[in-house]
Amino acid sequence: MSASTPLHELSIAEAGRRLRDGTLSSTMLTQHALARIASLDPLLHAFVLVTQERALADADRADRELKSGIDKGPMHGIPYALKDIYATAGIRTTCHSKLLIDNVPADDSVVEAKFKAGGAVLLGKLATHEFAIGGPSFDLPFPPARNPWNLDHFTGGSSSGSGAAVAASLVRTAMGSDTGGSIRGPAFYCGTVGLKPTYGLVSRRGVFPLSYTLDHCGPLTWTVEDTALTMQVIAGHDPLDPASANVPITDFSSDLGQDLAGLKLAYPRSFFATQDGISPEVVHSVDAAAEQITRLGAVVEEVSLPDFQLFNACGRVILAAEAYAIHEQDLLSRPLDYGRYAYQRMMAGATLSAADLTQALRLRRELSTAVNEGILGSYDAIITANGLTPAPRIDEFPVDVPPMSTLQTIPFNVTGNPVLAIPTGFSKSGLPLGMQIVGRAFDEPTVLRIGAAYEVASGWIAKRPSLELPIAV
Amino acid sequence: VGTRDDGDAALERELDMLMARVGAEVPADRKAGVIAGYKDIKRMAALLRQPRSAAAEPSNIYSLTPCLRRRPT
Repeated sequence: MSASTPLHELSIAEAGRRLRDGTLSSTMLTQHALARIASLDPLLHAFVLVTQERALADADRADRELKSGIDKGPMHGIPYALKDIYATAGIRTTCHSKLLIDNVPADDSVVEAKFKAGGAVLLGKLATHEFAIGGPSFDLPFPPARNPWNLDHFTGGSSSGSGAAVAASLVRTAMGSDTGGSIRGPAFYCGTVGLKPTYGLVSRRGVFPLSYTLDHCGPLTWTVEDTALTMQVIAGHDPLDPASANVPITDFSSDLGQDLAGLKLAYPRSFFATQDGISPEVVHSVDAAAEQITRLGAVVEEVSLPDFQLFNACGRVILAAEAYAIHEQDLLSRPLDYGRYAYQRMMAGATLSAADLTQALRLRRELSTAVNEGILGSYDAIITANGLTPAPRIDEFPVDVPPMSTLQTIPFNVTGNPVLAIPTGFSKSGLPLGMQIVGRAFDEPTVLRIGAAYEVASGWIAKRPSLELPIAV
Repeated sequence: VGTRDDGDAALERELDMLMARVGAEVPADRKAGVIAGYKDIKRMAALLRQPRSAAAEPSNIYSLTPCLRRRPT
């Protein structure tokens, strides 16, 4: 950080230091963010609601508290934003859907309550695919978010606004959710960091479910350290979330800054490199990242995983069955209130049998064993591609039929492991590329350690999208 | 041996039956996408049928053994 670093490029740690040494106030930080949102969001559509009054009140409170010696932790006075499936008491929460357009929850989601308790500043609610499943749709109450690297391209989804907002430096940390790749997809396409934590590490209570056994809540940020700091605030056991894990909360920043000596990483190159339609740029980029990680001291060895199509079938069948069960009544009684893509995707669940779901759950155990005991029994982490191609153009998507995903993310929703998505460079067309770092259950510190070391060594973090601002902010 | 058109028509008939079973009236302008989704999920459901014994239970989905190896507290 230099004295000339623009306020919106300060990391959480850097902004936090300045908030505490008195050279910056939360109000200044928040006003700057609000002005940047006002200037850029008409192009990006990352926000479906900006909570300006709430943000300025939060910031003023944080300034008074910090001045009087009250320190609520790493997010105190730091702006954040939430995908619009996180319930916010007294603040509209729509799931980007006509069905919930007037929904104002009485209670906060657990994550929102934790941000509040940590003294953070809510900037607003972010665009998503409808109910976290639809697609970049134009038949919904709000337009789809746009990719800051090229506004004609897809952000990824379903945490589309989260990816766009972080990439455009509208906010440092934005919450997403990930059922089949909805944090890691936008992180990949928008060139940000994104963490899908271990299943059960972050409470899902108050977050509109898509698939009970595949849903994970986690942040998108610009830096790995900012992900670690956000996790410190939002992780923890919730006795009212049936899937919440009662495990001790670690120091997520504890291993940042270490080299990778002593670590052994598995690289299932054929898992992605042999798939139809993969971009050579993606393969080259992940190969180069694996070599960089070797130079940082880790041992990287090629391994084999079960066929991606097995993971995909397992995850998709479970997702379709659970999503249909959640939405069944509304899908049958008011189909036209759903956008086209969400309706079409979820109706697939109505065609499945009980035997289909049982077979998926049997396969799930086998795949989980193959990853957790077969690979992670011998290796500290796995590195693999995040998707097969860079972000496609939005106007390439078909109107009548939902687009097919080329993400490589769903295997680790099936297994529940923590996964960090991190940029690995850019395509010739200037769009971000990326990889996944997959860790053992509840071993986020190692995943973050590898990501942070690679982030520093690769230097991709220094490149940001150049957005033409209608007014200078 | 049926033609591709026969296969598509059969698939649509299957879907119509399944939709009737759950009581769904699929809007006409959305049917193409629902058929595409059905075709895809049917292909994936077939992939789930792998050789396995009757003892292969769908339990203990998450194995904590590897993580317990690492971090002594």
